[in-house]
Amino acid sequence: MTLSVCGLSAVRSGRTILFPTDISIEPGARIGLVGASGSGKSTLGHALIDALQDQGARVAHVPQSPDEALDPLRRMAFHWREAEQALGLPHDAARQHALFRALKIEKGDLRKRPWGWSRGMQQRFVIAMALVGSPDVLVMDEPTSALDPVVAARTMALLEEYLSTRQTAMVLITHDLGLAAQRVARLMVMDAGRIVEDGPTSDVLTAPQSAVAKSLCMHRNWLELPC
Amino acid sequence: MMRGILGLLLRALVVLTGTALATFTLLWNAPGDAATTIAMARFDTLLSDVVVAQVRAELGLDAGFWPAFNSWIVPLLSGDFGNSSVTGRPVWPDLVSAISYTIPTALAGLAIGLALAIPLAILATRHPGSWSDRFAVGIASLGAAIPAYWLGLLLILLFAVKLAWLPAMGARTPAHVILPALTLGLGVAAALTRIIRSGILEARRQPFLPAFRRRGVSDRDLARAHVAPHAATPVITVLGLELAFLLEGIVMVEVIFSRPGLGSFLVTAIGARDFPKVQAVVVVTALLFVVINLAIDVIYRLIDPRTGTQDA
Amino acid sequence: MLELHGVCVRYGKVDTLCDVTLCVPAGQTLAVVGESGAGKSTLIAAILGLVKLAAGQITWAGAPVHTCRPSLVMQEPRAAFNPVLPLRRSIMEPLTARAEQLSDARLAHICNRLELPIDLLDRKPGEVSIGQAQRAGILRALIAGSPLILFDEPLSALDAVTQKHTAQLIADLQDEMGFAALVVTHDLGYAAAFGDNIAVLRKGRVEEITPTHAFIQHPKSDYGEDLRQAAFALGALGYGA
Repeated sequence: MTLSVCGLSAVRSGRTILFPTDISIEPGARIGLVGASGSGKSTLGHALIDALQDQGARVAHVPQSPDEALDPLRRMAFHWREAEQALGLPHDAARQHALFRALKIEKGDLRKRPWGWSRGMQQRFVIAMALVGSPDVLVMDEPTSALDPVVAARTMALLEEYLSTRQTAMVLITHDLGLAAQRVARLMVMDAGRIVEDGPTSDVLTAPQSAVAKSLCMHRNWLELPC
Repeated sequence: MMRGILGLLLRALVVLTGTALATFTLLWNAPGDAATTIAMARFDTLLSDVVVAQVRAELGLDAGFWPAFNSWIVPLLSGDFGNSSVTGRPVWPDLVSAISYTIPTALAGLAIGLALAIPLAILATRHPGSWSDRFAVGIASLGAAIPAYWLGLLLILLFAVKLAWLPAMGARTPAHVILPALTLGLGVAAALTRIIRSGILEARRQPFLPAFRRRGVSDRDLARAHVAPHAATPVITVLGLELAFLLEGIVMVEVIFSRPGLGSFLVTAIGARDFPKVQAVVVVTALLFVVINLAIDVIYRLIDPRTGTQDA
Repeated sequence: MLELHGVCVRYGKVDTLCDVTLCVPAGQTLAVVGESGAGKSTLIAAILGLVKLAAGQITWAGAPVHTCRPSLVMQEPRAAFNPVLPLRRSIMEPLTARAEQLSDARLAHICNRLELPIDLLDRKPGEVSIGQAQRAGILRALIAGSPLILFDEPLSALDAVTQKHTAQLIADLQDEMGFAALVVTHDLGYAAAFGDNIAVLRKGRVEEITPTHAFIQHPKSDYGEDLRQAAFALGALGYGA
């Protein structure tokens, strides 16, 4: 079932940082939300999560860094149990094991606290935790920018493999068009609180319409810089 | 781990020796002649120089500072606190009896302090800046501004004299502990409320909390499982200092309420220049501090094992 | 020319840098890539003389490296400045400390090249964008006139477009001024686009130092190959490995 929300907007200290925006998300969609910093993409992501949750849809969120998702004083096992309970799920060891195997963190010691794990593993744990309720939509806010590139690439590949057999849609929020272009089928380009371009990735890449999209396209790749 | 324990013991030894030496020096050099004071305390009357000289020789006060210090510290190393200069009886049984009065007062005071401070702080942080916040902070400031001796007298006036609900003086029944503990507890609560309040506000700014909320964790669980431990860490550090103030305050409170605890014990001993007794209190108090600090260290590491394990 | 010869740095019993030998000629850029914890920041600290060397030496043109007074551009642009002072005060600090003068014309010229309006310098770090703050950081490094500038993840706080733009500004200024640059980065795309050579650092050791065009085709080390694959997968180098 396609999820859609209308009129998402946000105002902070009297300034509109997100103008009314409509979004629809098909099952299994791969959507990239790209824009410069301050363009309102994270705000839109948060507004989207809140609106979808109000509709009763299952939405999960993965923040930029594991520091924003894990409590350093609590053990990993506690986080997992809490995430299950928050969704009203009973503890299911088989499901946990399947997710851990899919994201290659089955060797992690759940009795440790987050800082006892490497950052890459922490982030994959956060992703596994987000997937525990088989969400309809997974919103990822710069999920790899805090990781080393080798770890980041492996994490995205593992996630993609896991999602490939499921209906979960993914919204990838990033400033890096190059990263988004590798992962998503549909691109939304944001600028100053509005979506200025929305279309299939290949269309946006080959024929960008707006100035922002043109600039992003020109700068998407380090080795093909315009200058 | 071994190195940590060894370091702690070494630190304890330095603290104990330092305090022992410092108090002995102070007492030795206090104005007035020690032998005269002791003799007066012993016989309760003015005495001839012959008797004073006898006391001086008996207690070894004529031998000079270091011999006097040594004759006290050496037996102490084998656990012998010596005999009172005034009564000549062993210090240890009296000390134990004094402690048995003081510890319940201190613990009850701390319990009352926490029982008042935690709800007040939670009330204050429910809506920061609102009237309930200002009310709680106001109460706390008021409590901090009232000195213990005055508060104690006010409590006696109200509960013992006017209402006649509670006994004021002495320590015959368990009910006798209530007013002294209340006096202490109100002072402790005043300081703790503000610290717990800022601890909670600080903990609420932890960067991971929005993600937990989005994950569906209820505000109740968030407060219990995540805000509380983060708020507790600074509070526990301060709690150690607070216990120090508590021991300080207890001396005064025991005198006001005529409780035969460590405070009264100390005040009488100082008045009579009873060296072994004063020293015994000082050593026991210092030991208590070392133990409290050790306990705080351990609790701190239980809540946040990162402390002390990472190379700074 | 910056030369490191057999440099070791030890914290406790752990070697954070081990037998590091590399050189950066004037006017060239060496990009140092590697995972976090590989010793990249220690390398910079060692060149700045902030940590004690357990072995080896670091020289500029044969003399101890501190004689050339290397400059540093830091990772967090805003944190690199005192938040309560106007940018100008912080930027001029290296010159004031050495009792040197800077002509207005030269300052205006460099600001112009960095596309930094000169009246922006009277603002505080919190009142400019992150990109502007980082260019102010670069300005501070440049006006000191050092022949060697160290960049510690200079772009990681910026967004993709600003990153590329800033990198281009740095490269243009390097052409003009001829300083040697040692850039620590985890972004192989940046390293490949602007580095003359790429050094791969792993667990405190230099795995390889390879000219950039050769590295993009064939890294010599396994970890270099992992990095190259990852950069393709993340779209930093273009499409298809």
